[in-house]
Amino acid sequence: MRPVSISPPTRGRSPNPVARAAWIALVAAIAWAGIPARARTVTLRELLDEPRMTPKRFASNFDDFDFEAHDEVQAPDEFLGSRKGDCDDYAILADYVLSRKNYHTRLIFIRLVGRVAHAICYVNEDRAYLDYNNRIFFVTLERCRPHLREIADHVGDYVQANWTSVSQFTYTYKEDRKHFLLTVVKTDPPDSDIDRDFTY
Amino acid sequence: MNDPAVRRVLAAFLLVCAVAIFAAIVAARNTSRAAATSDWVNHTHAVINEVEGIYSSVRVGEAALRAYVATGSATDRGAAREAFEEMSEHIELAKALTRQEPAQSEQVLAIAKMTSGRDELANSVLAAARSNSLESARALMARDDGLAVAAEIRRAVGKLRDDEMALLADRDTRAYLQAHTTRWIVWSGVALNFLLLAGAAWLIRDDLAARRRATAVLEEANARLETKVRERTAELSSANEQLSADNLERRWANEALEHQVHYSDLIISSVNDAVLVLTKALNISRINPAVVRLTGFEAPQLVNRPLRSIVTLRSQDAVAPAELVDPVVQALREGRDLRDLPAVVQDKLGRKTAVHCTVFPMRDRDKVIGGIVILRTASPT
Repeated sequence: MRPVSISPPTRGRSPNPVARAAWIALVAAIAWAGIPARARTVTLRELLDEPRMTPKRFASNFDDFDFEAHDEVQAPDEFLGSRKGDCDDYAILADYVLSRKNYHTRLIFIRLVGRVAHAICYVNEDRAYLDYNNRIFFVTLERCRPHLREIADHVGDYVQANWTSVSQFTYTYKEDRKHFLLTVVKTDPPDSDIDRDFTY
Repeated sequence: MNDPAVRRVLAAFLLVCAVAIFAAIVAARNTSRAAATSDWVNHTHAVINEVEGIYSSVRVGEAALRAYVATGSATDRGAAREAFEEMSEHIELAKALTRQEPAQSEQVLAIAKMTSGRDELANSVLAAARSNSLESARALMARDDGLAVAAEIRRAVGKLRDDEMALLADRDTRAYLQAHTTRWIVWSGVALNFLLLAGAAWLIRDDLAARRRATAVLEEANARLETKVRERTAELSSANEQLSADNLERRWANEALEHQVHYSDLIISSVNDAVLVLTKALNISRINPAVVRLTGFEAPQLVNRPLRSIVTLRSQDAVAPAELVDPVVQALREGRDLRDLPAVVQDKLGRKTAVHCTVFPMRDRDKVIGGIVILRTASPT
């Protein structure tokens, strides 16, 4: 977005200090909005230090990120610095940050037919998940019920693809390895889902 | 709704709706089944993919392990570690994918048992290399009969893949048949609905034609009726005119008759002699004012009284009263006149007056129906 030039009111025309302050705030906001996005790169420390971090606020930092698939999960600052990554990078970073803000998050891995598997970060408190595909939209949190089958159905509907299985996994940057905890298979009877009786 | 045509058309449309709903329900059910079958096909591919991934990971892991033992390269070590981790992931996912299929699950467990040995070997080799030296790791590798185990794993994976392919063929056949059934039902429903709609259109067309015919017949009947009404109106108008003329003539005749009666009364009343009209039984039926003056009786007092109650023929004074009027009776029976017979009239007070009595028979079409008596007061001599 280009910066917009607006002349503040002259002293003679608007002596009211409140009006002047409002004008200055408006110009500052417009100027902030007009600054190229790359100038506002966030770091992992900033994300962790944000006192009022919420899933929505977290997602708002990624609206101009590009998609770039990687075989390995990128380190947080590498991902944030390059502003490029994939669903794994985004979901794992969301899990890392939000879990430290006392959110109960779950990493979900959905295997889609004929496509690369998709990862999202489900936030139990919000009954919604963060999806890298949604980063550019106004609604960055996709509301969905918490069981794995329901999440997979929702994601499948969103990307218009069938899924074969869905797993909940954990990941730590230090170990750099996904540990699959629970797996639900689409063709299994829903009553036999391993998380059927779980309360999230 | 009382119109049978409307009922028929409505029934046809209800039938069309029922067929459409039936076809839609069956198609939806078949689509759901097809989706489920598609899921199974996808599932089969996923299982095949995972078991092939197991074998592939084992081969890649062992190759990287051997390369590491040979070169000591950290890259090879990382590749080996990563390959065996992938193998574990494939095994876990294959277990999850086949847990509802006992035969396949058993096969996956067998493969997992075989691969666990490879994983343990890799861990031992890597641990030996890390703690001691590559030599001990090489010794471990040299003791291992990797090719035989790999062949065994390949056979097991191949068997499982073949089984899955057979399942895939079976599921694909079901999917094909379901798609075929769905197509057949949808097109049959469309064809049936087309026929039903055509039938409904034919019914509507037939009904419209029948209505047009009925309208034409009705119009024709109306035209005939109007003609008849016009004819009958003309007849009635003519009859009315005739009746009016008849009434006028009848009124004129009545007026003439009344005039004639009045004129006759006037004539009779104008006569100074007493005039009495007799019935055939010789009872007085009518008198003129001269009779009232002569007798002192009013007309109502004399009407229906016998003539002999006030008139007596003088020549027959000695004869019994019943026989006094015989000449009159006889004259009337014979239809001849009696002229100037001497007679006596007894008035209301009992006074007697000598009169000349003249009797004329009263005729109607040559039949005597009564008589007219004229009493003329005798002149004093």
